[in-house]
Amino acid sequence: MNALTILAVTVPFLGLVPLFLLGPRAGERAGLLMLAVAAGVSLAVGLCVVRTGQPQVYFSGGIAPPLGIALRADGFAAAMMGVCAVVLLFTGFYAMRQPGGAEARMPPAFFMLLLALAGALNLAFMAQDLFTLYVALELLTFAAVPLVCLDGKVEQLKAALTYLLFALFGSVLYLLGAVLIYGLYGTLDIGLVAAALVPHPPEWTFAVALALISAGLMAKAALFPLYLWLPPAHAGAPPAASVVLSAVVIKAPLFLLVRTWADLAPDALAVAAAPVLAVCGAGAILFCGVLALAQVRVKLLIAYSTAAQIGYLGLMFPLAATGDAYLSALAWTGGTLHLASHAFSKAAMFMAAGLLAETLGHDRLSGLRGAARVAPLSIAAFGIGGLSLMGLPPSGGFVAKVMLLTSALRQEIWWIALVVLAGGLLAGGYVLRVVVLALQRAEGEGPQGRECRWRAAIALMLALGAVALGFVPLAPLSFLSIGRHLSLEGLLP
Amino acid sequence: MIGNALLPLLEISPEFSRLAELMLAVAIALPLLLALAMLLRPVRRIMPHLLFLAPAPALVAALAVPRGMTMLVAPDPFRFILALDTPGALLLGGAALLWMMAGAFAAAYLRKDPARSAFAVWWLLAMAGSFAVFLVADVVSFYLAYALASFSAFGLVTHDDTPGARRAGNLYLALTVLGEGFLIAAFVMLASGMPDANPLIRDAVAALPASPAQGLIIALLLLGFTMKMGLFPLHVWMPLAHSVAPVPGSAVLSGIVVKAGVIGLLRFLPEGVALPGWGMVLCVFGLFTAFYGVAIGFTQKHPKRALAYSTVSQMGFVGAIFGAGIMAGRMDAFSFTAFYAMNHMLLKGAMFLAVGLALASGQRRRALGTLIAIVLGLSLAGLPFTGGALAKYAAKMLLPGGVIEFLIALSAAGTTLLMARYAVLVAKSDVAGAPQRGLLLPACALTVLALVVPYILFSPVTGLPLSAAFTPDALLKGSWPVLLGLVLFAALRLSRLSVHLPEVPAGDLWLVVSRLERPVRAMQVQAVTVDGYLRQWPVAGFALLGLTALLAAVAWAA
Repeated sequence: MNALTILAVTVPFLGLVPLFLLGPRAGERAGLLMLAVAAGVSLAVGLCVVRTGQPQVYFSGGIAPPLGIALRADGFAAAMMGVCAVVLLFTGFYAMRQPGGAEARMPPAFFMLLLALAGALNLAFMAQDLFTLYVALELLTFAAVPLVCLDGKVEQLKAALTYLLFALFGSVLYLLGAVLIYGLYGTLDIGLVAAALVPHPPEWTFAVALALISAGLMAKAALFPLYLWLPPAHAGAPPAASVVLSAVVIKAPLFLLVRTWADLAPDALAVAAAPVLAVCGAGAILFCGVLALAQVRVKLLIAYSTAAQIGYLGLMFPLAATGDAYLSALAWTGGTLHLASHAFSKAAMFMAAGLLAETLGHDRLSGLRGAARVAPLSIAAFGIGGLSLMGLPPSGGFVAKVMLLTSALRQEIWWIALVVLAGGLLAGGYVLRVVVLALQRAEGEGPQGRECRWRAAIALMLALGAVALGFVPLAPLSFLSIGRHLSLEGLLP
Repeated sequence: MIGNALLPLLEISPEFSRLAELMLAVAIALPLLLALAMLLRPVRRIMPHLLFLAPAPALVAALAVPRGMTMLVAPDPFRFILALDTPGALLLGGAALLWMMAGAFAAAYLRKDPARSAFAVWWLLAMAGSFAVFLVADVVSFYLAYALASFSAFGLVTHDDTPGARRAGNLYLALTVLGEGFLIAAFVMLASGMPDANPLIRDAVAALPASPAQGLIIALLLLGFTMKMGLFPLHVWMPLAHSVAPVPGSAVLSGIVVKAGVIGLLRFLPEGVALPGWGMVLCVFGLFTAFYGVAIGFTQKHPKRALAYSTVSQMGFVGAIFGAGIMAGRMDAFSFTAFYAMNHMLLKGAMFLAVGLALASGQRRRALGTLIAIVLGLSLAGLPFTGGALAKYAAKMLLPGGVIEFLIALSAAGTTLLMARYAVLVAKSDVAGAPQRGLLLPACALTVLALVVPYILFSPVTGLPLSAAFTPDALLKGSWPVLLGLVLFAALRLSRLSVHLPEVPAGDLWLVVSRLERPVRAMQVQAVTVDGYLRQWPVAGFALLGLTALLAAVAWAA
């Protein structure tokens, strides 16, 4: 039993309370403080997992499932918690008012929503039963939707409404699946359901339940072809909100999609469904990648890039479903590393795009010439973050790409290898397009103004975080296997 | 070589061995640190004048570090391993000399350029990448070094920021990204049979002949590396990029950056294993490129473009001799090819500086530039008693004889023709403004080095006495193609054909390929239309339900 896990969920939610009571200025400070504390708790949970080599478990009220509710942080969950906590904290600082300045950059609600996101994400990463997960997903959606329309512009409201409605459809499907499973096995705990499946082969209703749950999660994660809400929502939101939406919010449903097929579904079903998920992933990478190339605004370009990058996780499923433990673990590590490095790099890129828009007064690609003169740090953050998307070393994206490629090529799944390679080319196209334009000199006067340096430095730090992930060794990471049924003995460095 | 002479010293003094190891790392680290120091404002001002110092450790490393020295910079599992072998040392030393002289030249050439500090940053990064590419011994670090050298060279190409430079830069970048894609696929397949995730290049390549995917791996490697070398038909970026880059930029681009492709071939093709099929492919493409470069280059009206096509042709030559070498599985193919590549490195660098000298100076300087151009051109063509003749002599030892040897000899006639054209273009170039100070010394120094260095290295590399290259037979074999080329040139001049020859636009094939731009754009427009369709509510709703049904069906069927 480790109480830190429950603290990781409750601290952010409790931290919301003082924000209601305090004024905007003090509220902002309190919000940042609570975000920092929450990040500390999340990282401490990760540290416990590393130190003990065991998953950290907590039963609410000391009662084990099926009566009680379990929170469990294994290596995979702890990794995601750590990454999301860091990104949320940095976003908080990015959105902070100018030190000594009077004007608030974001309304007080923003910091409340960040805290709500932190709690909901941690719950989604650690909860063990389908209903608690449902609550976590709903909390996440209800914290994310207001972020989209924080400025209250008409387009933002439209985008937020689309997001809300589609996420709601996703929730309905998910809930339907959960109810079916409850009807079949009388429990919602993932571990107990999986255990009940061992002696008896699953019935067809279980297959339907799994399909409902995963389709619901795919709708919330905006996996191709269900991405209709993502570009307007992520591109239209205020910059600091776009950062968390793209970098962390969609990671939770993706994480749960992985858990659905890795922990809940029996292997035979997972193997059968994997190609479908992979095809969706490939569609995302190729189609949304081409669309990102066609965009004329930087924020839309980044939003489509998010829709494309989600696809790599889809490609992970058939690679991880192999019987070869080493290749499976390699794909698994590659997929997780991709999630993590994408979180850092995408956060950096959206922050940079926000700063560019502030400095230039717009974010049109056509007016980007000369931007590197007035906003050098922002362009550097964009480019260095982009390294990871392009899969160039040194970056977490490079290591992830090599792992996925190795796994695909050694299993001789050629088409996946080709998609991974083509995805890198497309990412190279859309990232370099922005950087090259910014490096060119402007005709005539050129853009005036100056970027906000300390905020650009925050973006740069996150981009360097994605680079730092590139120093992970090119082998399955033992940390990720902690508490998972993957047996990695003998494979690890 | 000098390094081997120091071997006894090594046994006595472990400190010296540590120092030598360290020098390999410093060679790469110094340019990187200088680039980093450019963040400080005072450093930014003086850095252009310090560029010539940055390659000093690399030069020391190439001269003093014994061959076979390996250094582990970072331990497992973050391997970053440096090693120095003969091909690497040759190219490293040549590159260090060229970076040094071109750096001094650049400081003077860009004296009034407002963006010279940005140029210096790209310059230093490309320098670090190029040194690293000659030194690293593990696969992942090679990929990193190769990417650093390739992407930083973009800044050198586009420095002048003219519409032409932008176009050339975009094409260069697109092909670079594509090349990186080929290489990463090849490297992953190469490494996937190894117990180590990031093996030494040597070990991975040793396992290549036994790999089931051998053919595919070699094809991808050839695609990736010959693109950087500029072999037909992947040469299109080179003439475009070289004609728009500032003179010192062109010099290092043509001299050094393209050699990243050469060292790639040398490192990643197996030593001592005959690859008749692939060797033949490389040889044929190389030979074709050698003549193709001359043919297109001869029509050019700007000396830098003529030189760019000469580089294309010369890299064809390098491909041809190396291809011939690995056809027979010759061990010496690696050091001889590197020797020739180093010879070309110094010569081509000096030739570009000569153009700069002629373009940026007064009448008298132009005459000097022309003289330098003639001497260097004859050396490149391999006229006996020049340094180039020695490099060519070594290269020809790799050839099997017969048609290939004849064609290689004939290509020297082509080189002569193109070099004559280049000298004429330099002599006729417009003189722009007052003479600039500081250009003469580096250009002349590099010229002297280009002529002398092959003399010093001939015996250590080939193991033959210098006199071997001066036998009557060798002299005859070296002279007739040059004479033939000169006669041809005179004939063309007299017939005034060369005047009426229409200039083939730089980038030749690319102009045909770039017609594809319109269908590609149309495809993009179509994608946008499909996107609009997919993002309609009813469509997305059906997709959601359809996906559910599909997943349920496949899961149930299992």
